Amino acid sequence: MNRTRRLGWLLALGTVAALLAQVPAGALPPGSPKVGLVCTPGTVSGSTHSFNLVANAGHIQTPDGNHILMWSYAVAAAADPTDLWPNFQSPGPVLCVKEGETVQIQLHNNLPEPTSIVFPGQDAPVTAIGGSPGLFTNEAAGSNDVTYTFTAAKPGTYLYESGSNVSKQVEMGLYGALIIRPSAGNNLAYGATTPFDPSREFMLLLAEIDPDLHHAVETGGTYDFTKLHNHYFTINGRSFPDTLQDNGSDLLPSQPYGALVRIPAHIVQPALIRMLNAGTDNHPFHPHGNHTREIAQDGRLLLSPGGARASSERFGETIGSGQTKDYLLRWDDQDNFNPISKPFPVAQPNYRNLTFKDGLTWYSGSPYLGYKGTLPTGTTSLNICGEWYFPFHSHALNEFTNFDEPFGGMATLLRVDPQGGCFTFPSSTTILANGGTLRSGTYTYLGLDDSLYYRVNSTTTGTTRTASWYGQFSTIPNGAKNLVVTYKGRNCGTGTATACPATTSKPTTVSIWNWATSAWVTLAGPTPVGTTDVTFGPIAVTGSPTATSWANYIGTGTNRGRVRVRVFTTGTTSFVSGGNLMQLVYDAP
Amino acid sequence: MNPQSDQGTTRRDFLKAAGLGAAGMSLAGGLVSTGFGSRLFAPAARAATTTLALAATDGYITVPGRENDPLYIFGFIPVSPSATVASLISTYKGHAQHTAPTFSFKQWDDVKITLTNLGLVQRPDLTDSHTIHWHGFDMPSPLNDGVPEVSVAVPIAKQLTYFYRPHREGTYMYHCHFEDVEHVQIGMTGIVFVRPLQDGTSIGGFTKFAYNDGDGSTGYHRHFAILLNEIWSNFHDGDRDIQETIGSDYDPQWFTMNGRSYPQTLLPNDSSTLPAGMRIGTPNPNYGDAVDYSQPNSSLVQVNPGDRVLLRLANLGYQQHSMQMPGIPLHVIGQDASLLRDGAVDTSFWTNTLYIGPGEARDVLFEAPAYSDALPHFTHPGRGEYNVYSFKNRDWRRLSNNGAPGAGGMMTEVRVYQTPLPPQNVVSETYV
Repeated sequence: MNRTRRLGWLLALGTVAALLAQVPAGALPPGSPKVGLVCTPGTVSGSTHSFNLVANAGHIQTPDGNHILMWSYAVAAAADPTDLWPNFQSPGPVLCVKEGETVQIQLHNNLPEPTSIVFPGQDAPVTAIGGSPGLFTNEAAGSNDVTYTFTAAKPGTYLYESGSNVSKQVEMGLYGALIIRPSAGNNLAYGATTPFDPSREFMLLLAEIDPDLHHAVETGGTYDFTKLHNHYFTINGRSFPDTLQDNGSDLLPSQPYGALVRIPAHIVQPALIRMLNAGTDNHPFHPHGNHTREIAQDGRLLLSPGGARASSERFGETIGSGQTKDYLLRWDDQDNFNPISKPFPVAQPNYRNLTFKDGLTWYSGSPYLGYKGTLPTGTTSLNICGEWYFPFHSHALNEFTNFDEPFGGMATLLRVDPQGGCFTFPSSTTILANGGTLRSGTYTYLGLDDSLYYRVNSTTTGTTRTASWYGQFSTIPNGAKNLVVTYKGRNCGTGTATACPATTSKPTTVSIWNWATSAWVTLAGPTPVGTTDVTFGPIAVTGSPTATSWANYIGTGTNRGRVRVRVFTTGTTSFVSGGNLMQLVYDAP
Repeated sequence: MNPQSDQGTTRRDFLKAAGLGAAGMSLAGGLVSTGFGSRLFAPAARAATTTLALAATDGYITVPGRENDPLYIFGFIPVSPSATVASLISTYKGHAQHTAPTFSFKQWDDVKITLTNLGLVQRPDLTDSHTIHWHGFDMPSPLNDGVPEVSVAVPIAKQLTYFYRPHREGTYMYHCHFEDVEHVQIGMTGIVFVRPLQDGTSIGGFTKFAYNDGDGSTGYHRHFAILLNEIWSNFHDGDRDIQETIGSDYDPQWFTMNGRSYPQTLLPNDSSTLPAGMRIGTPNPNYGDAVDYSQPNSSLVQVNPGDRVLLRLANLGYQQHSMQMPGIPLHVIGQDASLLRDGAVDTSFWTNTLYIGPGEARDVLFEAPAYSDALPHFTHPGRGEYNVYSFKNRDWRRLSNNGAPGAGGMMTEVRVYQTPLPPQNVVSETYV
């Protein structure tokens, strides 16, 4: 069935770079990554790690336009009057501590009934000071405080949640993640046998929402917990496609955690995915495209009786209500298809025979990693540079919905980035004034290291003959980082007898255009280049004005997304500058 | 040609064309077991490409209790790869089957599956596309993963050839991923498995194996593929009648194995040679109630005493299922197309209750017990006596057909024959 999509659907991943990436005050610590696990720092004093939390009411948004009252934990801080939802976030803050630390959590209760925190999986006793004894632990009445203390004895992934009136309060959203890192290092999940890439750490906290119950709490109505009927399904407090927005997205001020899983192909150490189920239902989670390796459950490594690793690979794993499971993910590709040396053994499909659903796609137009192809006019692509997207979602497909709208709910995407970043080739060339004339070839000849050259005749008069031309890369996204330029070319004589008549080598300089200063910045050279190809680079372009900003090299306004790389050669006799390959590699935002 | 009585090739012929039964190939490449499960390095020769085709359209099936009110479905039909789109439409449009054919491929065989979207007879207003998602496959590109939003989809009267090069042996499943909340429930589901390169070699008395185990521990004599599903008739009736259905209200009333509810599960694989009483005929309103045989896949397990039997299970329902085979313990040796072994550690396990969640697959071995006259036994005319064990859902709510009294739902029989049956030719072979 065709469904209309609300506007929020269109504001999905690929255009995030154009949105404000500022972190709302009081929501995420400064410097938090836009994708991946965000830790709440708390305060460390010696071996004590303390957090100041509040329990607050607030609202979250769903992609189909709904607005739901939630109760949740947040970091207690001075309220920011510019923040519409002060001191509220769903789910609760991710608490990251170190094995062996004494964890102290002070909770201030702003809810209309007593609340508390319990720490499932912490075998060491949790002592509570303040509040009054409840069924499971001390709880604080409204406007009061209670402080919990325990030792983070064992590394792993754990939940923390309310221990008061749990049928109501945990359903209303009082839960969060507690991560205990092994003392042996932050790049280990549990210990020496479970290393991972610490820049690729992800949390997927699953939960469900029955909007009728939340509405009853909001309006003071009655409700029957045995009639729980979930219509919204969340990962990190958001439903798909909101799960794809960055951490701290301005669009979702009370839901700070995104759920995009992003890895490069051929990652050296695996990514770590920490899954938690704070809901009432078991959820069968299905990664597309590759197996994940389950290494731990409920904060315990899966080991044989002899202590050897006993992990298992999954393409569908049910995580039970209240459980946590840890997975390693690596992109395994035994084929490495590419258009040059190993194309797919079937012809590429003809768009006459295909549709792009709703005219909106994450597909690049090319099936090969790192390549962008063409798409029919009118199809909006959210793809930046040929990266791949695969869904990760609950396979209880009734949870793959936002109430009645399919392709929503408990889902996110895996994004696989090309190895070494996005790479691109010029989409046009220009010969500069007093830089010679076109001899033969077009920008396409710069796209492959082969026998085809983009060839420019130098000027033919004067003591110094010059060939000066640039290749222009386009659609480089705002926020691209780590620009790397490679140029390969040669200089030939002007005769026509052979493809490259002899000539002496001539100094060649490769430069990049700085839009802010309107000047060419030398990347390499002058280097003598004769009739044999010389490769310049890969040259890392130094960020400007700071080490992490390459914005001055990416055009704006009418030149939006343009990067220019110039090849400048001089000689005492006429010559032909021949460009074989010009490539720009960058990390997409 | 009468399309109702012969939906293209018969099921057995189709499976044979899929390369099942091909002679094993030499294993010059050798077997290496690494920490990431067994991987085969550089096999001696790449096997031939298997070319298949599926058509996607709508149709009807019968669920017990609604014999006079056929249930609307979408489904995949096995068709000839060389047929033109026009001939496929004129022959098969409106004649969908459920479940889709079981595919069997050999590890490292290249596979090309051409999907043709025939359109829907009952819903000419509904211009849905279709795709094939090989669930669990390690994909070398999103293009063939079948998710429309991150690749492409096949509109009505168009075709796309999907390409797969299976590196990992084991049991998987496949389904349409276009609006899959709807299309999966409404019937576009099937099982696919990949036979290991080890097949054809002789280890421990076996020549057929679930995995490249290196030691014969996953060897079997007979194998059966069973796909679990549920049926929520509201969704099917809603699609038929152009009514919206809220996916998160999911509440199924029938529970199926290979698209059939007990006692349909006991009927043999459909064939035009069967007497009418052993076939599931559904009057198809798309064609004036002419009878379609649209549920061709049996779940009956017929074995000999002492057989080592492999159950290839997959779950494309939206609910978790807990399966039991009272009287026979189950050895779970594989899951999600992975051998349950981590390096040298054997992580396989024995159980009496097998849990399988949505989107998951399990490879389960069991030993057929000796025949005994002391146990309840029944007569199969022409084949002698057999004992009966049941393979069924532990959740008794799933053993009913829409709440009607009596046994129903997600249950089938394991029949152990006193007089041995002939060797198995194809997966899930049934003997009439």
